[in-house]
This record gives sequence, structure tokens and C-alpha cells, in this order.
Amino acid sequence: MISKNDIDLYKQFVKTIFKMRYKGSILGFLWVLLKPFFMFIILFVVFSSVSGQVGNLTSRQYAVYLLSGLVIFTFFNEGITWGMGSIMERADLILKINFKRDIVVISALTMALINFGINLMIVGVVGLVLGIQFSLASVSYILLIGLVMFLGLYGISFFTSIWMVYVRDLAHITELGLQLMFYASAVFFPVEMIPEKYRFIVEHNPIAIYIQSVREALTYQNIVNLKFVIGSLIVSVLLIIVGNIYFKHSVKRVAEHF
Amino acid sequence: MNENTAIQVKNVSKNFRIPVKGHKNTLQERFLNPFQKTEYREFSALKNLSFEVKKGEFFSVIGPNGSGKSTLLKIVSGIYVADEGEVKVNGSLVPFLELGVGFNPDLTARENVYLNGTILGLTKKELDKYIDEIFDFAELRDFADMKIKNFSSGMAVRLAFSIAIRVKSDILVLDEVLAVGDADFQKKCYAYFDRIKGLKSILYVSHALDSVEKYSDRVLWLKEDRSYEIGSPETIVNGYKNAN
Repeated sequence: MISKNDIDLYKQFVKTIFKMRYKGSILGFLWVLLKPFFMFIILFVVFSSVSGQVGNLTSRQYAVYLLSGLVIFTFFNEGITWGMGSIMERADLILKINFKRDIVVISALTMALINFGINLMIVGVVGLVLGIQFSLASVSYILLIGLVMFLGLYGISFFTSIWMVYVRDLAHITELGLQLMFYASAVFFPVEMIPEKYRFIVEHNPIAIYIQSVREALTYQNIVNLKFVIGSLIVSVLLIIVGNIYFKHSVKRVAEHF
Repeated sequence: MNENTAIQVKNVSKNFRIPVKGHKNTLQERFLNPFQKTEYREFSALKNLSFEVKKGEFFSVIGPNGSGKSTLLKIVSGIYVADEGEVKVNGSLVPFLELGVGFNPDLTARENVYLNGTILGLTKKELDKYIDEIFDFAELRDFADMKIKNFSSGMAVRLAFSIAIRVKSDILVLDEVLAVGDADFQKKCYAYFDRIKGLKSILYVSHALDSVEKYSDRVLWLKEDRSYEIGSPETIVNGYKNAN
């Protein structure tokens, strides 16, 4: 049962996180755009201007390639990090008030989703500048991948947000794990640059598969890995159902362990 | 549960395991001392406690520090879970274990009213309606767009209280929150008690025995040895005073 107050509380939380993240900075909200933009510029300049070509990609193709990798990976990174820390971060409230705990989890993930949406718009603008002809099918496919990722991240956060309270190291372990994932997802280099015998890593890594699918959709309007994406959708929904049960059960005891 | 009961606490026990030595909250500690067993001291906060708060009743809890008062309120509020026994609540319940929960110093007073108000169960629509009254009652109309961090603690408490009294719940759980603030503020609080007495069910924890005696219908005295007594305000408060 979701009450009117739950929805308002959710909106308040999202608004507050948003305001707090950029408080006191002169450029404020602009940082949402500037951070991924500069990350993109740095990697782009480093990898493409040296040779004018990255692997077998022209610098123009590389721009799209890099951008889609960054956008998907950033979404994954923020979703995992913020979702996991969500309960811990609101310990003060959880110790004092009996509101529905899952609201803090979904609020944290909503922040990641908002950033993802903004980043997608940047991709759209850059794509238009580079003369990409977006098709309805490819755009829908990219949005579907975003949805599947969101559901998956939500399901995972039901577990990690609780575990985080018991094992604080999880924050550091995850940071390292995400660093590894960044390299294992071929975010900023062409898959072809990976030696054949290590390529299985990219081929079995869901994030890498999502990134590849988005790239294909953007560059060639191709829809690839559809089976995998549908499969992930089912897994993500299951994860949410099981996660929700686990969360509802475990969150009651969490307040004693802060 | 009886229809006239607001809160039912039945045979509730709560123990805390307090790590005395070798508590491993991080993996480092676990790796460095893999064989060291964590030693816990079992601390019983509540033992086999039962009572009922009737609808519209002003029910107070007194007792020395460490007698389990706050634990009891947290269990009734659904923040902690009882190890044994059960707690049933009939109606909507809002806990006030602290005033101004969720107040964010970097937000303006107005933004904090919305934040804190929603946390306490009000909807945005209701807050839109109350916002002027909230600032008027707190006498902070001119400071609505100032950040809370620039408020004096007295101003913050006034604002928090002004929001708190708008809360629409059948049951209020109050933990000593009203002890803060100056004489003028306390007068306002007691005026509020007068207004809601009989209308809402109240579970009230306080060390201010005068107010307990004046407002309560019944009083629960939690003792250090985990026994307890329930009775009329005069009897229990006098007993408590004589015991100390």
C-alpha cells in the first residue's frame, strides 16, 4: 500500500539529495552536465588525438563509442554506490521515525536515474551534431536497456543497503570492484583491443553487454543482444521481488546495528 | 485486540548484546583476529513487560536512566523489534523521539517545514495549507527563507514544535522532547497537552514529575531491576519519589 504521504516523502527525499549534492557550489546543477562532459573530453583527447584513430574506429565513431560507454557505466556506478549507502546515510531518520524504509532506497536510485536521463540527452545532442540518424527502434531499445538496468540496480540495492549496515567495508570493496568493472566493461577502448584470450570477460559481463548494445544501436541502428536484455529484465524483476521480501524482513533489525 | 485499546504491549522482552571485546565491524578486524571470539555482555533492557494504553488516554512512563524507557518507545514506534512478546498498535502512530527530525541545516526554514512535515506523515497539500500558520505560531514569519543553520537553537525548536502540533495521528509517542526550550516554550507545550488531552492517545516519557502527575491518566514506573508498576499518577509518582 502506497499512501499520498509516501509519495510526497519520496519527492522530498529526492529533492533534498539533489539540493545537498550541489549546495554551496557556484555552478550548482551545471555540474551534473560538466562532470561527464569533462570525463568524456579527457578520455577522448587522450585516446583519439594521439593517433587520430582508436583501434579501427575513426575519432568520430570513437566519440559515440566512448560516450555511450561512459553514460551506461556512470549509471551502473552511481546506482550501485548510492543504492548501497542509502540506508546507512539516513541512519539518523531511521532511528527516530517509523516511515517506510524502502523510500530511501528508491530515492537514492532515482537520483542515479535522473543523472542517467540527463546524460542520455547529452548523448542525443552529441549524436545529432555528429550526424547520427536516430531511429525509433534504436532509441526505444536504449531506453529499454536503461529500464532493465534500473530494475536490476533496485533489486541489488535491497540486499546491499542492508549488508552495508553490518559490514562497513562493503563501501571500499565496492569501490575497488567498480574500478575493476570499469576496465572489464571496455568503456573507453574498443573490444578488439583486448587480447582474444581475455575477451570472454567482456562477453560475459552484463554491463559490457549493455554498453555494446547501446553502441550498436547508436552507431548502426542495430538491435543486438535482445535475448540477453529480455533475460536480464526477467532476472531483474525476480531480484526485486526476492529483494523486497528480504529487505522487509531484515530492515526491522537494522536500527540496532547503526 | 479490544477496540478501545490504542497500544497493547504483551510480555515484551528486549535484550541488547553489547560487544565488550573483539567487536568486528570491519573485515580488517576479522582478518587480524580470526579466532578471537567476540565477547558480548547480554543487557536486558525490558523484561516481560505488559500494559495497555486505552484510546484517548494520557499514559506516562517514568523511571531512572537506563530503565528501558527509550527502548520501550522505540519498540512501540516500530524502530526496534521486541525479542519476545508482541506490540499491537491500533491507529496511526507518530513518534517524537526528538523534535525537528531530518532538519537539514543547509535548507531554508520553509524547505525544512516541508521536509520535516512530510517525514512526520503530512502530505504536501496539507503543508501548503498550514505553512503560514506554522510560521505564525513559531513567530518566525520573517525568517521563512533563512537557512536553518543561521537559526538559534531556540528558533529551530520553536519551528519544529510548530510543525509537530499539526501532525494528524491517533497516537503520539513523546520522549522527553518537550524538556528542551525555555519557560515560555514549555508553557506552549503544556497548552498543547491541554488541547489534545482526551482526543489523542499519548505515550509520554518524562523526568518532569510535575507534568506527569498533572496530565497523566495512568503512569508506568520502570524500575532498574526490570520490574514495573502501573497505577494512578499520585500513587506511582509518590512511590517513585520515595524510592529515590
